[in-house]
Amino acid sequence: MCCRRFSSGFTTSGLFDTLRCFRGSSGYSSASSTGRTSWSSAPRKERRPLFPARIHSKALNLRPSVIRHRCRSLHPTLQSCSCRATHSDAKLRDPFTLAQKDLTSLYDDIKKELFVAKTELKYLCDYYFDGRGKAIRPIIVVLMARAMNIHSNRAGDLLPGQRTIAMISEMIHTASLVHDDVIDRSDERRGKRSINDVWGEKKAILAGDFILSAATMALARIGNSTVVKVLSHVIEDLVRGEFMQLGSKENEDERFKHYLEKTYKKTASLMAHSCKAVCILVNSDPEVHEIAYQYGKNVGIAFQLVDDVLDFTSGAEQLGKPAAVDLKLGLATGPVLFACQQFPELHALIMRRFSSKGDVDRAWQYVLQSDGVQQTTYLARRYCEEAIRQISRLQPSPERDALIRLTEIVLSRDK
Amino acid sequence: MRFAHVFIAFEEFISFSVYQVVELISSAIGDLVQGIYYENSYSAEDGLGEGVDVTSWEDQTFLSHGALLAKSCQAAMQLAKHDREAQRLAYLYGKHLSLGHKLNSDLQPFVKTRLAEITSFSLSAAPVVLHRQIVGKEKWHQHLQEARTLRNQLDYTKLLAAVKSEKGVSSAVDLCRYHSNMALEAIQAFPSSEARSALENIATAVTKF
Repeated sequence: MCCRRFSSGFTTSGLFDTLRCFRGSSGYSSASSTGRTSWSSAPRKERRPLFPARIHSKALNLRPSVIRHRCRSLHPTLQSCSCRATHSDAKLRDPFTLAQKDLTSLYDDIKKELFVAKTELKYLCDYYFDGRGKAIRPIIVVLMARAMNIHSNRAGDLLPGQRTIAMISEMIHTASLVHDDVIDRSDERRGKRSINDVWGEKKAILAGDFILSAATMALARIGNSTVVKVLSHVIEDLVRGEFMQLGSKENEDERFKHYLEKTYKKTASLMAHSCKAVCILVNSDPEVHEIAYQYGKNVGIAFQLVDDVLDFTSGAEQLGKPAAVDLKLGLATGPVLFACQQFPELHALIMRRFSSKGDVDRAWQYVLQSDGVQQTTYLARRYCEEAIRQISRLQPSPERDALIRLTEIVLSRDK
Repeated sequence: MRFAHVFIAFEEFISFSVYQVVELISSAIGDLVQGIYYENSYSAEDGLGEGVDVTSWEDQTFLSHGALLAKSCQAAMQLAKHDREAQRLAYLYGKHLSLGHKLNSDLQPFVKTRLAEITSFSLSAAPVVLHRQIVGKEKWHQHLQEARTLRNQLDYTKLLAAVKSEKGVSSAVDLCRYHSNMALEAIQAFPSSEARSALENIATAVTKF
């Protein structure tokens, strides 16, 4: 029961046209009270965000539910789809339910791969595989694998290699988090103290390295060189993405492009390549591989954009880590970049990475007064639409529908 | 992220379709990480901890200094599609050469004739470990005590003299020669060639002080 009424007209080039509108075109900066006028590429229907002036005065009290409300009204087709679906249908399409069977022993299996004799190092490596993570990557990988299997006229069940890829994706992700916490000097992660906070930076770095080495051993054991090649890209992208984050661009136009590229490397690349990898194991058609890749890539970027929004809109209790983290780290994410177009004062703050006293608070205020949050959310929605468009090209299956449903979950998360 | 550099290097030889090599080298990285982890864990005083002996020293040193070379040598054989025996011999060469080299390196402060050159040495260095094993726990603690200055710092010159007065240094030299011979034995199983001679020279060189 697929919602084919979704916008089929939105192509990647459409998105870039949209982005071009963001790059300081005159219609944009004056549009604070009348809503956007420069969305020349998008049809004037429900896809345009309509932001009357009163939204801005209320922006200081902006709650995620307000955003969600706005977004839902943009897509009456999506809303009516889920309303019409029966309760059991909804349950069938629920990604978590569908993936559950394959993932019950995921963390235990990962811990088995972390084969190390010495107790302390073992404890560190196991530290984040405690079932508290969202496991969004393994869920996507598992669902994609099943959807691909069905599309390729096989039974839905996972091949062992596909299951391993789900594990590997979570291991690589976790290893990168361990290292990121060292780089960012974070003391908290997922509701507990970070590894570097408890055991120091040296040990944290080594633990991350060990998890990565275990992941690559598991990857090699799948016995498929193409899969090894595909997932090798991920680690390089992670590193390059982190380096990109350490640098900044002076030019406003370049900044957004830089931000999206960094987002791809740091977040989407892993999802995209993992999806592609599970597909490679069952299907030899490069066009089908591309569907998997594009779904992973678009969902991945959307996921990160929402994450960046939540940093502004969510309280510390919900996230498991304190908010405004990005600003405090000197990072200018989507909401800030959009806000900068309305408040050019932000340029200077961005360039000095919010390092002066009061910068973080000022930037925060600008963002909440602007429509930066809405714009970023809207952009995330566009990426999700593209993901849906891609995945809809597969043969129908509960897993394919769950992947469609997943995009909505990504957009509506509050932590 | 030094691991990432190695991984990027993978992309170059992956076209040979040898995922076995990827697994092997990845495991070497895991070994290296474990080795460094525990090397860093030891306090300056304890060296390798209370239960130290030659075997545990060799196991630890293999992880931190031997695994990478041993497994790389083996991987080279795999890439060229040599049989299991050739792989085993290459592995052994790499392993014993590394251990011999580490012994040579550890021995340097103890075999230098000019004392002025020595500022400090690691308490997990082979001669010290062997010394501890030979003289026993109590005498070792006594040596440590005697080598302490008034400001509770270690006088390495005194400690050096204490180690040199017993058989720790000569045992380490013997162990170094042992590993050098094991490496030679492994490489001499291959047909003679310029490359083999070069490898023999390297294995012999680690015994030179």
